[in-house]
Amino acid sequence: MDIFLQQLANGLTIGSMYALVALGYTMVYGVMRLINFAHGDMVAASAFVGLTIYTQVMGESASLGAVVLIFLLSAGSMAVVGIILERVAYRPLREAPRLSAVVSALGASLVIQNGIMLIWGPRMRIFPELVPQVYWDLGGVVISLIQVIILLLSLVLMITLYLFVEKTRMGAAIRASSIDQDAARLMGINVNSVIALIFIIGSSLGAIGGLFIGLYYRGITFNMGWQYGLYAFIAAIIGGIGNIPGAMLGGMLLGLFNAFIAGYVSSTWSDAFTFILLILILIVRPTGILGERVAEKV
Amino acid sequence: MNRCIRTILAASAVALLAVPAFAADTLKVGVQAPITGSYANEGQGIENGVRLLAEQINAKGGVMGKQIEVIPCDDQGTAMAAAICAKDLVNKGVSMVIGSYTSTCAEAAQKTYFKAGVIQTSDGTADGLTEKGYWTFLRNSFPNSAEAEFAANYMVNVKKYQRIVVLSDFSTYADGLANAAEAAIKKMGGNVVSRDKIKADSQNFTPILTNIKSKKPDAIFFAGYYSDGGQLRAQQMALGIKADFIGGDANDNPDFVKLAGSAAQGAFIINVPSPDVLPYAIAKTFIADYQKKYGEMPPSIWGLMNIDGMRAIIHAMEQNKSFDAKQAVDYLHNLSEPLPGITGPIAFAKDGNRKGGAYVVKKIQADGSYFNEYVQ
Repeated sequence: MDIFLQQLANGLTIGSMYALVALGYTMVYGVMRLINFAHGDMVAASAFVGLTIYTQVMGESASLGAVVLIFLLSAGSMAVVGIILERVAYRPLREAPRLSAVVSALGASLVIQNGIMLIWGPRMRIFPELVPQVYWDLGGVVISLIQVIILLLSLVLMITLYLFVEKTRMGAAIRASSIDQDAARLMGINVNSVIALIFIIGSSLGAIGGLFIGLYYRGITFNMGWQYGLYAFIAAIIGGIGNIPGAMLGGMLLGLFNAFIAGYVSSTWSDAFTFILLILILIVRPTGILGERVAEKV
Repeated sequence: MNRCIRTILAASAVALLAVPAFAADTLKVGVQAPITGSYANEGQGIENGVRLLAEQINAKGGVMGKQIEVIPCDDQGTAMAAAICAKDLVNKGVSMVIGSYTSTCAEAAQKTYFKAGVIQTSDGTADGLTEKGYWTFLRNSFPNSAEAEFAANYMVNVKKYQRIVVLSDFSTYADGLANAAEAAIKKMGGNVVSRDKIKADSQNFTPILTNIKSKKPDAIFFAGYYSDGGQLRAQQMALGIKADFIGGDANDNPDFVKLAGSAAQGAFIINVPSPDVLPYAIAKTFIADYQKKYGEMPPSIWGLMNIDGMRAIIHAMEQNKSFDAKQAVDYLHNLSEPLPGITGPIAFAKDGNRKGGAYVVKKIQADGSYFNEYVQ
């Protein structure tokens, strides 16, 4: 039972990181019908930006304020990168065949990944211990402070996002644009600013995911975006791509699935099982768990 | 007459084309190393070291009048890129190859160098590297089996651990070291409660560590690289597994301590001595030169082992007064007494293994420095 609960805690921590990153994929897909392959690399870039802000700008002072500032600045700079990315790589291709946009996305991914390598070098960079190493032993299940922070902050962000999309006028504009861009335009919605907003939100959530990876695992490499991006992408598909609660659910499920497969079956086979799960879901429920598009009144 | 002139012109054109090839004759030294990727730190250390040694030899007039030309190739620490590097370096006509850092990459490239008759010297420690009978291969480090024997003796007879977990990744080096250690522990009457494998670079090791925790080990022996070792140690402590962590040689890198952070304290690492404690005069000068040129210490002893391999090959060529690869290797296989090296005396057995072995157990202190806890 200890082991089960411990794996559950592990899985939820990883799952919430996947979920944060998956939101970026799913939101962009929802409105633009485009897989933003550069998203994973922006997650990696955010970790490097955060580390640089810490070492260069803040002179390595570790305090709660410092950590909050790192999160805000990294998320802000990634939001800017997201807008630039959309302007440069996606907007010119909006009317082009979908394949062109996908190729452009892959290109953007390579540009960002190699950009990170050129700026920060090919070596693994290491995050300092910004969060104190505090552990609680709850009858055999050990939970660390950083795990609690990751889980709680992710939940707060996801609930806020859900409420924003469901309850506000701007959220309604996002939902409308995702159903029919032309109709939304006719209703007086500025689809371009909706798309910019999507990129701002998606990129900053991804940025926070990237910082979590840095804070939790400490080691970051220029090409790690590919791995996390792929997992988050799978999470988005499992939950139903284009669906915001689906990405959250998919991320959590994938995290738990990975932890349990690695714990009970084999850690070396966990990737293989993840892809088998993906194939099964695509066969049985191609739209993902929550992905069924029902007629919606906006 | 016309035809005669044409013939002369053609002949002189051929001669002109041929001459520069002789004039620009250099001794080409290939460097196959992970210059990018997870082991970039080590790969760059090897390349830097080779360039420094080449510079020093060239300043003294080169090798028998030939200047050394360094040709690097980045194998990224992956077998696939290593195989491509091997073909590339052979095509560029190198007469020896220094590297690679990982056994996996050295192994992937071995056959190509053997077929081309190019001497390869690597610090790869997997036993399998010298078991194929390739005369072109010279190991400049000590094989895994020597380290495994030492580690097992330390754990079973010195520390008297009762429940040992042996952990490795899937690489040629790590798997070989872990298997040898497991066999040696069992032979000495020790108790291996689990033999597990991780996927290198997967970052999240908590699922497998949670399983390990349930086996209540008092020691975890990890054969693998520092980039995983540091994270394993951090996650081990985060899960409250109160076992000693004993890392194999490839954990010996400053990044291990940085990755593990405050959890690094108390971890043990088994390795040959680190560069700064090498007692040999030749080591002190070379490291001083290295620091002067690059502004930092060599990342680890592995780069220096490779430099020793290169020095031995060049020494053999000079003694033979020939650039012939086979003769140089024969000379090194039959040294009457070991050559002085940066990392200690160098001599090679007939199978290409470096003779000898000297290991230390280093305990990581609170400030991240090493304390030599046990010396062979």
